[in-house]
Amino acid sequence: MASRAEFSPQTLSVLAALCGQPSAWQHGYALARQTGLKSGTLYPILIRLADRGLVEACWQEEPTPGRPRRHLYRLTPDGLATATTALAEAALAEAEPATAKVRPGASPRRGRGVAAPVVP
Amino acid sequence: MSRLSRAAAAAERGALRLVPTARREWAEAVWAEAHEVPAGWPRLAWRAGGLGLVAKEGQMARRISIALLFAAAAGAAAWGAWPGSPVSHGAAVQGGIVITVLLLVGLPLLTRWVLGPPDSRAARWLRAGVYAAILAVMPAQAAIGMFVGTVPRGGIDRHTFDVFQGPGVPGSSSGGPDWGGEIGILLLTACYVALILALTARRTPVAPATLAIGAGAGLVLGVVMYAIAPLGLNVKYPYRPWLDGSAAEAVGVLAWVLLFGAPLMAGAVAGRCCHVPDDPGEASAARAWQGFAAGLVSGGAGALLVTVFGSSSVALLLKSAWVRDWLYHRQHLTASAVYGRELFASQDAGGYIVLLVGLPIIGLIMGLIGTACASPAHRLPDSGGPGGPPGPGGPEPVPGPPDGGCQADVKELAGSG
Repeated sequence: MASRAEFSPQTLSVLAALCGQPSAWQHGYALARQTGLKSGTLYPILIRLADRGLVEACWQEEPTPGRPRRHLYRLTPDGLATATTALAEAALAEAEPATAKVRPGASPRRGRGVAAPVVP
Repeated sequence: MSRLSRAAAAAERGALRLVPTARREWAEAVWAEAHEVPAGWPRLAWRAGGLGLVAKEGQMARRISIALLFAAAAGAAAWGAWPGSPVSHGAAVQGGIVITVLLLVGLPLLTRWVLGPPDSRAARWLRAGVYAAILAVMPAQAAIGMFVGTVPRGGIDRHTFDVFQGPGVPGSSSGGPDWGGEIGILLLTACYVALILALTARRTPVAPATLAIGAGAGLVLGVVMYAIAPLGLNVKYPYRPWLDGSAAEAVGVLAWVLLFGAPLMAGAVAGRCCHVPDDPGEASAARAWQGFAAGLVSGGAGALLVTVFGSSSVALLLKSAWVRDWLYHRQHLTASAVYGRELFASQDAGGYIVLLVGLPIIGLIMGLIGTACASPAHRLPDSGGPGGPPGPGGPEPVPGPPDGGCQADVKELAGSG
């Protein structure tokens, strides 16, 4: 099972967007709007997730007349489980520094050290 | 704005060819999605991101770096080999340099179109090594040719030159081989480049491990041969400053053993290590391919290594007083004797052509023999002894040993074209 440390914040945002409607196929532009990522950032993330079997992709079967077929994405069952875990860990890690601040004797340096390094 | 978008779209369509096939649909996806993005700057930014994706997935940075590195190396080699002063055969030398560089640039494009690109690290390293060797030999051979062709102005050196090279006009220079010799060298270079490009292409059924085994055996062979003859194949004045009497004899014997043994072993190991199809006929052919390739690569790599090191040593001997002092400081030679030895070494540098032709031929023959000796069919003959009735089919061929994940599936490689 992948841990949060394996995902960058941008990847986590893509996973979160895909988790919003796990069974629905989503377009790249829709994901870009939800995550605020540029196409040059979004698509490499989708490629890596697809390579790891966390995201599946397909081409639209019935394109809008006059438009090219669009590429669609959704989480695989493995991807959904991984994304759920990673997002939960991310939320937990974000909450930890806040609790560390109110703990007596806890220094900010120590608080930062608790969070696992993010590997892009 | 729409004109900019159209230009970006056209650029992206053209750039799609740079992306590996497996990644092409992703680049197409960005392009298709651009139609959903509002026209204007957002769409242009979307397309620019697509071009960035193409650059990233097409490994453009690596390709551009390799192209620049090659351009720098080829430029340096050509600059070092270019005849500096007007010489009678300067046109042949210049033509040879230009055609060599064109061969190095053009043949990969042709091979890529016919047989596909290299698809393993071993293949890419082997190509890079052969290219580096060819570029390194160019200035060394030019320096040697210039030295051999330059007639001393007078004194005992002039006499020595006349004895070994024939009379010439003092101070004149032929600067190297004529067009005939240059064409021969170009043909040899073209053969080496074409063979190595073909063996390392994706659609050629040669496993990466076979290339690595062949290259490793060739490097060992080349190093030992260079150790025994660092200044060319000079039989009259063999000089090897790092080897004394008995050690030189031992290394000499080792060189002879490796001359035949290295490709033999390479062929045997490559034939044993590769995955083969179940069909016995196809399996034999696949093993033979690996043995052939391993032997050829080992012979070629050994010959190239000896040529590069040997030619460079001789060229350094001619150019560098420090190298001369280092090589001859224990022999207390007169200046004339040093000149004579330099002349011998330079003349014998032509012998490397014999090595460049001969070693690969020996290598491929020994590689095939090695594969045949090591193949399971050789060790497990069919049932039905000699003179007996034709019995039922023999036992199934014994599968190859576990490869530890280092070999590519030959059948898959063959089918990938």
